[in-house]
Amino acid sequence: MLVSKSLDTDLARSEKQTLYRIATLYLLLSIIIIFGFSFMYYTAQKELMLQEKKAELQQDSKDFLLKLKQLHINFDKTQVYPRSKAYESAIFDSDKKLIFATIPTQLSLHKILYLQDAMIHLVSIPESYYLGAKYVIIQVKDNALWYERTKKELLLFNLLAFSVMFVIGYVLLRLFLKPMRDAIHLLDRFIKDTTHELNTPVSTIVNNIEMIDKTKLDAKTLKKINRIDIGAKTISNIYQDLTYLTLGNKIVVNDEKIDLGELLQERVDYFKSLANAKKVFMEVKIVTNTSLFIDRAKLSKLVDNLISNAIKYNKINGYIHIILNKNEIIFEDSGIGIAQENIVKMQERYTRFNNVSGGFGLGLSIVSSIAQEYKLKIKIESEEFAWTKVSLQW
Amino acid sequence: MVRVLSVFLLASILHGGVYQTNCVACHKTLPVSIDKYFYRYLLKYSSEKDVKAAMYHYLQNPSKKKSVMAEAFISRFGVKQKSKLTNKQLQKALNVYWNRYKVFGRLR
Repeated sequence: MLVSKSLDTDLARSEKQTLYRIATLYLLLSIIIIFGFSFMYYTAQKELMLQEKKAELQQDSKDFLLKLKQLHINFDKTQVYPRSKAYESAIFDSDKKLIFATIPTQLSLHKILYLQDAMIHLVSIPESYYLGAKYVIIQVKDNALWYERTKKELLLFNLLAFSVMFVIGYVLLRLFLKPMRDAIHLLDRFIKDTTHELNTPVSTIVNNIEMIDKTKLDAKTLKKINRIDIGAKTISNIYQDLTYLTLGNKIVVNDEKIDLGELLQERVDYFKSLANAKKVFMEVKIVTNTSLFIDRAKLSKLVDNLISNAIKYNKINGYIHIILNKNEIIFEDSGIGIAQENIVKMQERYTRFNNVSGGFGLGLSIVSSIAQEYKLKIKIESEEFAWTKVSLQW
Repeated sequence: MVRVLSVFLLASILHGGVYQTNCVACHKTLPVSIDKYFYRYLLKYSSEKDVKAAMYHYLQNPSKKKSVMAEAFISRFGVKQKSKLTNKQLQKALNVYWNRYKVFGRLR
């Protein structure tokens, strides 16, 4: 039977990071392209304005040269530099040395027509160098109307272009994500369907084993029954993990004051047969008994997963010490350990680092999710092939 | 101090002297005043360096081709004779000529 299709797709951290990087790169490229176009448009508009002004400036230049010519002819009589209200001017000799100027600022002779400090400049070279003037600069004020118009146009264009790029980016990202989403959906759906189908047989096995009077069994049968008990509990644990994951958000939370010492002992007893099968010595050491205001089912799930992992990845004849302090529970085991570089990735869903034992890689993801919900801090220390220490702090 | 000033005054007179004796004296006899030549050079060569270089080359070896004066002027007065001044004297005379008629610092 299929279950509801409304699944919450969980993207792992590395996948999210890749997506963020692609989105940032796309955004940066979009900004560069938009700014590149804006700059080109601005330059074109400026050039257009300069070309429109050129004729007017050329006329001013002609007028100035006529006056300069008159001054050149009559230089022995008058030395008054020709001025006009319409424009400012400057003259330079062939060595680009300033002869005279009505413009106070530094001028460039490298371009013919240019805009500098909101002033339009035209540099012309007359046929005859009146008073030695090879370069004549005519300067008029730029009314900046073109600038205001271009600014508005660019603002509108940038907004529009950015919106379009954003929509394209969003569509592309969704397309890019689709195969990944489909794969995760498929896995989630498979797990949900399997979980649902496991419910009845697992419950039947566990309940029936519990109902058997073990005192009446001979040693051989008891051994077999114990093996079935271990197997059933393992399946039951996996079943509970999967149920928690698939129905995690829909489970009714019932927070209450929980005696931690009592709960730890109860869970250790539950896993006793599993530990015995592997000859793992398990003990609870209560330094300071304390209680937490938490949902019992969730805390049990958290503890179960940590104990289950400690058994699963332990050595034959290994040990598990569970120590309860005032502000922490420590799960210490003599297991295979975890490499330092893998410790960070451990709490991601479906992450497994070895194939020593079976599993879906869900355990620590559930532990992490419950710990986050109740603001519990998880600290993992380990030495590969030697030991692992998981501390749950509050 | 007085000695330094005297030497400076003498040098100025001597510089002006080459120009006065060898340039102005002859040009006085011509109907076109000496400043008009200056402005014709300025019209064609623009900068101090180029003007002085053009004048120097012309005075060293005058020719119709090198002259900045109009065709009619040359037809009437001809091309002047080669200068007998030494290079140093010629440079000094040109410096005085430039400083007397240059545009720099005279415009208002």
